[in-house]
Amino acid sequence: MRQPAIRRAVVLCSLVAIATAACASGGEKKMSVGSGDVVADRQRLMKLNGALWADAQAKGKAGNWEAIGVNAEAMAINAEHIPMLFPPGSLTDKSKAKPDVWQKWPEFETASKKMVAESVKLRDAARSKNQEATEAAMKDFGRNACGACHTPFRVPPPAR
Amino acid sequence: MRQGTRLLMAIAVGTLGALAPIAPVGAQAPSQAELARGKYVFGATGGCGCHTKPKEPVNAGGRRYDGPFGTVYATNISPDRETGIGAWTDEQIVTAIRLGRRPNGERILPVHPYTVFNGMAAEDLRAVTAYLRTIPAVKRANQPKRITVPLFESVFLPAWLAAFAPKETPPASAPATGIARGEYLVRAIGHCGECHTPRTMTMATDNSRFLAGNEKGPEDSVVPNITPDKETGLTWTVEQIAEYLATGNKPDGDVAGGLMGEVIQGTTAGYKDMTKADLLAIAHYLKSVAPVKNRIGK
Repeated sequence: MRQPAIRRAVVLCSLVAIATAACASGGEKKMSVGSGDVVADRQRLMKLNGALWADAQAKGKAGNWEAIGVNAEAMAINAEHIPMLFPPGSLTDKSKAKPDVWQKWPEFETASKKMVAESVKLRDAARSKNQEATEAAMKDFGRNACGACHTPFRVPPPAR
Repeated sequence: MRQGTRLLMAIAVGTLGALAPIAPVGAQAPSQAELARGKYVFGATGGCGCHTKPKEPVNAGGRRYDGPFGTVYATNISPDRETGIGAWTDEQIVTAIRLGRRPNGERILPVHPYTVFNGMAAEDLRAVTAYLRTIPAVKRANQPKRITVPLFESVFLPAWLAAFAPKETPPASAPATGIARGEYLVRAIGHCGECHTPRTMTMATDNSRFLAGNEKGPEDSVVPNITPDKETGLTWTVEQIAEYLATGNKPDGDVAGGLMGEVIQGTTAGYKDMTKADLLAIAHYLKSVAPVKNRIGK
């Protein structure tokens, strides 16, 4: 009778120890959001958003307003990841970010939230099948959503 | 009743006075059309954004520029009479814009691009001057420049201006349409060459390679080649160029940033506020300039 009681106590203690260790290590380790190369990850995300935006403009020119909703939804989700893709110390030679990103972090976070808000506004306008509202949201989207970060926080690429 | 009428009139006159542009004593009030034209031209310069610190009052100055000669700060060009240009006459403002001279005769450093603004038509200069007076006055003292090169302003600068600075010639009137309009907007108003043209060893723009890009642009920017060279230049269609200037949207889905993003957005007005006809005129002109092979960036 005594042996099983000891065994149960040992098993119970082991479980508590494992759970405690798991909680402790979980608290220390931050959630991983990408491949491990954070600069490549954020550049991929930006290119993806660029492609979504170019596609949204093509849909707008074709008069397919409602279909823009899915692009805007994807851009909103992507934009929510932007701040976590700019951890401190991730300004490398390959990065086009300006040091201002980290020096003016609250402004950078506000700008990325603006991207989310503008994307949601565009999504809702498109889903409501309201062409006028969608066109209005599209008109300044580039400057207001993407440009809010690109102008102050990115070294512009010499794109052609 | 008569007292009430007088009071209403006094309020109306006071309100109109508060809304009217601050004009120098004796000057004729500009028409609404002239003010609208002034705002349009102001926008076509990029909103004189060099004189505005981001997210701060328009035209209040204070923006820092570092050059090989030292550091300068953009001046307050709001109509404040003590710290801005409110006490200047129209002629003095025009002279500062196109000839780079302050009312006291002092020479303005050509960080302010008067060598190209000299190509602005007189009617546009008058209109911009009138519009500048409508922007809210801001009391902010100018920060003194810090020149590190000995005898820079007394000897080097006058010699440089005489020997190397290219100068535009003002047309009798602003071209209204076509490629001539585009050229006028690009060269004299938009002053695109100031950033997009490479500079020689003397820091003058190398106009033999006009608009061929600049690896060392203002504020450490890399400025693209916008000549129509097929390998290294701007290959967008005229519609795409006009769309970019109006919205900041590039054909690949990227969006303008940096100084280009600033001039498109402008301050009270920017490139985005130009008419489609003018944006297309710019695009057609850019397609007409000599292609220059000059690869910028990677």
